[in-house]
Amino acid sequence: MNDIQIRIRDLNFYYGEFQALYGINADIERKAVTALIGPSGCGKSTFLRCINRMNDTIDNTLVEGLLEVNDENIYSAGLDVTELRKKIGMVFQRPNPFPMSIYDNVAYGPRVHGIKNKAKLDELVQKSLEQAHLWVEVKDRLYKNALGLSGGQQQRLVIARSLAVEPEILLMDEPTSALDPIATAKLEDLVQKLAKEYTVIIVTHNMQQAARVSTKTAFFLNGYLIEMDETSKIFTAPKDQRTEDYITGRFG
Amino acid sequence: MNKLKIWDFITWVCIGLVLAVLLLVIGHVVVSGIRFINLKFIVETTSNAGRSGGIRNVISATIYLTLSALLLAVPVSIAAAIYLQEYARKGRLLNILVSGIETLAGVPSIVFGLFGFNIFVTLLGWSWSLVSGAITLALMGLPILTRTIMEAIRAVPRSYRDASLALGAGQWTTIVRVVLPAAFSGIITGIILSMGRIIGETAAVFLTFGSTLNSISSIFDSGRTMPVHVYILSSESVSIDNAYATATILLVVIIALNGLAYLYQGITKKRG
Repeated sequence: MNDIQIRIRDLNFYYGEFQALYGINADIERKAVTALIGPSGCGKSTFLRCINRMNDTIDNTLVEGLLEVNDENIYSAGLDVTELRKKIGMVFQRPNPFPMSIYDNVAYGPRVHGIKNKAKLDELVQKSLEQAHLWVEVKDRLYKNALGLSGGQQQRLVIARSLAVEPEILLMDEPTSALDPIATAKLEDLVQKLAKEYTVIIVTHNMQQAARVSTKTAFFLNGYLIEMDETSKIFTAPKDQRTEDYITGRFG
Repeated sequence: MNKLKIWDFITWVCIGLVLAVLLLVIGHVVVSGIRFINLKFIVETTSNAGRSGGIRNVISATIYLTLSALLLAVPVSIAAAIYLQEYARKGRLLNILVSGIETLAGVPSIVFGLFGFNIFVTLLGWSWSLVSGAITLALMGLPILTRTIMEAIRAVPRSYRDASLALGAGQWTTIVRVVLPAAFSGIITGIILSMGRIIGETAAVFLTFGSTLNSISSIFDSGRTMPVHVYILSSESVSIDNAYATATILLVVIIALNGLAYLYQGITKKRG
């Protein structure tokens, strides 16, 4: 059995008056891929953004309940959000490299966290780009603007940028929704390799993708976590009728 | 002819009219002034109240005043823009502040001039001087500068901020390392454009910087900028020829500044 890295108990989330998440309970395993599926607006992205407290950046939101990462309540008063986000990387729907060189993009996180040593930065940049399967493609143009890369390369660059901070957890919010099929396949391959060293939580609209890359799958609907189980079970023998309706394409 | 064609025609006539007026004014000034411009006119100081000699002291007074005003206004408006755009809570108070800034940007310059005259020149006893003039022009330039810098900051995609915050950077770090560099070209364009406005200002300058033909050697010296020079030479019939010559140089400077702003934007856009 894998151990539990993220523990969620009775989590409610509100945007102003609107309640987006209702009493979520879940355990997320260390060094595995957990997929979050469900129709648009079901709360899966909101849930993801609770884990690294990115929802804090939106005005007028409220969180209730318990969310523990490594047995520490991340919504406790004294928690350092910077340290938390260092531990938890995030990849967004659309590739969002900074308008700087490839090198500076990857070195951004380490620099922000105080690493100035050039040799150490070089090493981190190369290691992160290698882990993101991008090193070979960009090693001769590290100092060129990152916006010149293709969409798929940009998304892998953004993953490398997250890895450079040496996180334990990677949150991915529909990372392939803006990519073509070939770039998507490469990214899925990467996600599975990354799961050997990182805990990956991936939000996806694409059920085949969830089935291909994840070991656990959680199905969200209207702000509720309907069912969470081994991916193979969710896709072959779901316990809840609504899960079955969704994965067989009856709605969504 | 169908309706569309008629509208096309009217549009083109209007564009033609605007261009014709612009060219007429610029052409008139340049044709009347260019004959009197030579190296001597630029490097010599004025003599005989502007009837003869050049305008070196006038040009340098203009540069001193413009740069001092910008030096005061730019840091303040960058700070204000960062606060209003990045930190201030969205709500009624912010809306009131922003519309206040917009109103201030529309206040006629003579009102700022009157304020500067009464406060800096008279009340604080700084007389007509570089300080009085620079502070007055800085106040006058603040609202529009703040507004353009706010726009430049707002144009930076939210995804950049999200990426930086998600990497564990604090808000201030994000602003300094990501937002401001990405907004840089917009900020520079805003500064260049308001520089053109400050250089061309006449009424407020006349009231606070004065109109003496001194060379400036301290911040309490008074001086005469190019627009004021044009105003005095022409209104007091000192030398219409030299007024046109000065106006031509002023025009060239302002056109060059505008061109520079667009060129700069073009270059940075291409670089991505």
